[in-house]
Amino acid sequence: MKNAQNLIGTFLLSMALAMSLTGCKHRPPMTTTIPDTATRPGPGNGAPTTDNGTATTTPAPVTGEPIPLSNGEYTSLFNGSANEDRTRFGADTVYFDFDSATIKPSEEPKLQDMANYFKDNKKFEGLVIEGNCDQRGTEKYNLSLGERRALAAREYLANLGVDPKRIKTVTYGSSRPADTGQGESAWKKNRRDEFILVTPK
Amino acid sequence: MKMKYIPLLATVLVGACYVSIAQDNVIEIRKPTTHIVPISIAGFEGEAQSVLAFDLSALGMEITAPDKAEYLVSGTQNGRIEGRLSAAGAAQPLWARAYAGGAIRAQAHAFANDIVKEIRGTVPIFETRIAFRVQEGSSTEIAVSEFDGYNATVVTHDSTLVEGPSWIPGGRGLLYTSWKNGGEQILEHNLASGQRRAFADFPGANLSPAVSPDGQRVAMILSRSGSPNLWVSKMNGSDLEHLTHTRDEDSCPTWSPDSQEICFVCRSGRAELQKVSANGGPARALRVVGVYGNLTSPDWSPDGKWIAFTSGSGHFSICVAPAEGGDAQQLVAGEDPCWAPNSRTIVFCRQAGNKRILSLLDVPTKHVKDIRQISGSCSEPSWAR
Repeated sequence: MKNAQNLIGTFLLSMALAMSLTGCKHRPPMTTTIPDTATRPGPGNGAPTTDNGTATTTPAPVTGEPIPLSNGEYTSLFNGSANEDRTRFGADTVYFDFDSATIKPSEEPKLQDMANYFKDNKKFEGLVIEGNCDQRGTEKYNLSLGERRALAAREYLANLGVDPKRIKTVTYGSSRPADTGQGESAWKKNRRDEFILVTPK
Repeated sequence: MKMKYIPLLATVLVGACYVSIAQDNVIEIRKPTTHIVPISIAGFEGEAQSVLAFDLSALGMEITAPDKAEYLVSGTQNGRIEGRLSAAGAAQPLWARAYAGGAIRAQAHAFANDIVKEIRGTVPIFETRIAFRVQEGSSTEIAVSEFDGYNATVVTHDSTLVEGPSWIPGGRGLLYTSWKNGGEQILEHNLASGQRRAFADFPGANLSPAVSPDGQRVAMILSRSGSPNLWVSKMNGSDLEHLTHTRDEDSCPTWSPDSQEICFVCRSGRAELQKVSANGGPARALRVVGVYGNLTSPDWSPDGKWIAFTSGSGHFSICVAPAEGGDAQQLVAGEDPCWAPNSRTIVFCRQAGNKRILSLLDVPTKHVKDIRQISGSCSEPSWAR
């Protein structure tokens, strides 16, 4: 009888121990787990991009020093009160390759035309360069790329002798497309700089 | 009873007690957060029902019948919500709580927050707000809404171009880029008063503001030096520092949660993700393995562990990589990801027909839930954190 009582006592002790042990467990901290799935490149991915059948190599980075922006004595020309003429240089819209802000050789004569205008023109006139992108970048990315395209034309004109203080840059990213269609025939019309002649009233 | 059977009996009885105790303490059972949790909802109707169903679904739970559910949500709504959460098969609910005051939607969101905390262990997000850009015709404006798109307010009326809203931590206001004065300025907009001031108005472009999580500094893209580069200043505009000198251009700054580092996009030829100390120093590439093409629009998770970003050119995908670099996962079609405070949910935009709409992504389950849309094409969402 005494052995049975000891065993029952041991049993009760074990049960008490088991209950207290389960009560002491605490939750491990939760962590976000990223699912372990195989990654495959989606459509439109793959390096390098060859959407338009032109250059298949990575565009070379731009060389030369950047030209700081300031308008100096021309500042009042860009405060919104001057005349803006989109037609004077309407035929000189400069076009860019995808994901590039490099001035292509085919576009250089247009910039030469504009440089000649300002060289010959002694009046107090200036230029607004609007940089644009096609829709194949995210918006913040396109804002910077559009600005870089405007700056590239400004640098080119400055190297041809146009005072950079006469030039203001604006970026519209992909928000002002020239062609809202799909495909390269539309996209290539959107990757552009437009040039606005600014003259005092 | 024979003596020799007593040890066996004791073992069996101890074992049986242990199992029944473990079943009563079902909160001890933890499943990996990658699985979709079937859950049932009973006793609610109208907006209480729809809020619970939306919120739980957004966190990767599937609303099912009780016999298929792992968890059961039940309760009543009589001016206030009284809600219970039970685990399947349990005799007693895990807890029962009451939610009073405010509108029925707010009560239901608070209940859903508690349910999600129990099942996913994440911080609440159902009473938070987002800001985003909305386009109608050729003009764009900034809008603010609850995280699910409800109670949206358009907060600008400039009929011009605006981009890239960034919350001031604490939610008192936004910084964004506006073209209302002819060129790109960064405006600071106090949401309570509606007052705005020019935060950055340097010559050239002033773009893509990002306020640091500690509210002390602003990262932005300025082209004043002749190339669009990453600059940082204090919140009052002082201590302006030129952090990068990329000859092509930089874009898309996002802060680390400790406000010490900035991840951004550098294009020098091709575009890549880079990081730089907010206190100056060399930038270095973020090593991203397994996802190709242009990687842009990064957003650093509040817990510091992940960087979400957009991959692709035209066909965009939301991707996530470890913040220190490594294997990236391509998750769903879409762009412009922004993390919720829980470092688990992402708000993003995706193409739907001829416009873009805002959606929520539950990263571990890859479950996508569109939020309520306002009219217009919506993009660049930012989650108030």
